[in-house]
Amino acid sequence: MKKLLLSVLLTTLAFASMEVDTTYSTLGAVAQKIGGDLVHVTVLGSPKYDPHFIVPKPSLLSKLRRADLLIINGGGLEIGFLPPLIINANNANIQPGAKGFLDMSHFIDLIDKPASVSRGFGDIHANGNPHYSTDPYTILVMAKVISKKLSLLDPKNAKNYRTNLSNFLQEWDAYLLHFDAKMAICKDKKVIEYHELFNYFLKRYGFTSYGDIEPLPGIAPSSKHTIELIHTIKDNGIKIILQDVYHEKRTAEFIASKTGAKVALIPHDVGAVKSADTLENFYNTIAEQICH
Amino acid sequence: MKKTMGLSLLAFSSLFAEAELDAIKGQLKQQQVIMQNLQEKVLQLTNQNQAKEQNKFDVQMAQNSDSSSSFSQNAYLPDIALILNMSAVGRNVKNSEYANYAIPGFIDSGDAELPFNKNRGFNLNYAEVAMHSTVDPYFDAFAIFHLHPDALEIEEAFVRTRALPYGLKIKAGKFKSSFGRINSMHQHAWNFDAQPIVYEAFFGPDSISDPGIQLQWVAPTDTYLMAGIEALQGTNDRSFGDTEQSNLFVAYLKTSVDIGDDLSILGGISLAHGKNTIANATDVYGMDLTLREQLGSYSSLVWQSEYLYRNKDIGVSNDKQAGLYSEFIYHVDRNYSGGIRYDGIVQNNTDLSVGYTGVNTDNLDKYTLMLEYKPFPMSRIRLEYTHDRTKVINGQRKDINEVMMTLNIAAGAHGAHSY
Repeated sequence: MKKLLLSVLLTTLAFASMEVDTTYSTLGAVAQKIGGDLVHVTVLGSPKYDPHFIVPKPSLLSKLRRADLLIINGGGLEIGFLPPLIINANNANIQPGAKGFLDMSHFIDLIDKPASVSRGFGDIHANGNPHYSTDPYTILVMAKVISKKLSLLDPKNAKNYRTNLSNFLQEWDAYLLHFDAKMAICKDKKVIEYHELFNYFLKRYGFTSYGDIEPLPGIAPSSKHTIELIHTIKDNGIKIILQDVYHEKRTAEFIASKTGAKVALIPHDVGAVKSADTLENFYNTIAEQICH
Repeated sequence: MKKTMGLSLLAFSSLFAEAELDAIKGQLKQQQVIMQNLQEKVLQLTNQNQAKEQNKFDVQMAQNSDSSSSFSQNAYLPDIALILNMSAVGRNVKNSEYANYAIPGFIDSGDAELPFNKNRGFNLNYAEVAMHSTVDPYFDAFAIFHLHPDALEIEEAFVRTRALPYGLKIKAGKFKSSFGRINSMHQHAWNFDAQPIVYEAFFGPDSISDPGIQLQWVAPTDTYLMAGIEALQGTNDRSFGDTEQSNLFVAYLKTSVDIGDDLSILGGISLAHGKNTIANATDVYGMDLTLREQLGSYSSLVWQSEYLYRNKDIGVSNDKQAGLYSEFIYHVDRNYSGGIRYDGIVQNNTDLSVGYTGVNTDNLDKYTLMLEYKPFPMSRIRLEYTHDRTKVINGQRKDINEVMMTLNIAAGAHGAHSY
């Protein structure tokens, strides 16, 4: 018992900094840039899994239990696993509506908002497409919002958060300049996707998506829909199929074999593939996959 | 020479001055014209704007003249979900005989409650309405109205704190106890449709579900550790049921570790201490262990087991009984799952001389195979085969074979399930 108490005490001392939990890795990477040494960032959902269906492991409860700030993607992406975790973590700081709960989607203009909402259309997101992290410009918004939030929660370090923010913004603006130039020479702008994971990136750089491999959001591919898609690809001369890391890859490969289109494995978050290990490399990997 | 130069310079400059004056005059005129034009434009635009605003106002007036929704509270409506559960059953026992089954040492003939999948042929098990709402910054409220074909039951109705410090949370009302692993789960969240025999034998179909109060604490440690205590009315007369006062106390400790990214282990120990009469106590001890190996986003292996031991003082002696279940589930992808379960009574030290003389009461156990198809996360079709060796029918031990197809749907705002 003494040992337990001691280890509890030591853990609290060791993490005198702000405990910041994020549901996904891209949010976590930005939080780390802004928080620096003053925060300890924990990412709850592994980027190798479907962000809609993160397994609510009990170990996540102990992470949420000690969080000072929980940053969620929002837009309904976490609805399938996060609410019971927040309830059972018994942490008043991070309850929805509390100071330490931050829904990033409230600061982003969500696109693809459905005109009418029914599960008859599959697993649609009523508030619009929540996969905004694939647009590198949203990083600027995330950075500003997180800096503001950390300053409010930890006012004695507000100056540091502001300095980190302005350094990071400078860095990211320079990166975007290069990145936009890289994307400007990208000529082939017709794609199809598995799930509408990359719409924000596609919109930013003028791509057009001609369809999804899943017939409805959250519904597995059907042969009828796949055949229609093969016709669409042939009729429109589409050369790229955007595949994510967590869906089955057979359908995309089958379509590729019938049409000659290329299957491009695109990360949806930092760390989803090996080469996407940093914020910069996340977008670099998307660019390389989509442009070659 | 100098003089001439000076004179001519003077003449030049005066000439220049005159020309400059003319130019400025010209510019001024131009500016005046521009000003005039701009003023006209401003006037025009102002008029237009006014007209537009008037227009907008008229439209707003027309649209919003109906002010009957000024005090509408629709935005505060609770989340509401509808859960339907139904089945088709084939069984080698007549309905009238099955309804009077006995489980030696636990349930006498005629005492069995059969809320689910009772009849050969078709069953509508229940329509459930679940409501959840945040009451205010301090409380959540939650209720499940369980509608059987011939009864309405408040399955759960409780308030839960949102803002207690130190990792604490209090729940008060009628709720399912967090004793063990599946006690707190609703029937539609189980991996198999039938309750494990040890739960049915010790607690009946509702498990431990009572009015009462619960306090849970999550430790601020790296490893998940949760402790909880509950004080409950103890109405469940399979194990408790003293009607003179609230008599049941439940305590448990749960912990979980991850091994790598993909393997998680959850274990717990539980104790329920209550009274079956004003003088006689019952203690139930539980141990549970769940291992889950994630193979992909939609694919996993789950091995879940529980062992329950009961010591029930019945005055003349103490009944000492125990049972367990162990189930193994393979989630193949997001549509298909399969599983097997063994469950049974492993210890049955009680007086079986009354009613069971000449009846073999050993090896009360059950084997279940399950195949599941989920077209969508909100709907589930499940096919089960059960070989049940736990029951005595018409005074004879009878092996029951059962094939069952169940359909479960959760429509509307149905919250996510816990681990």
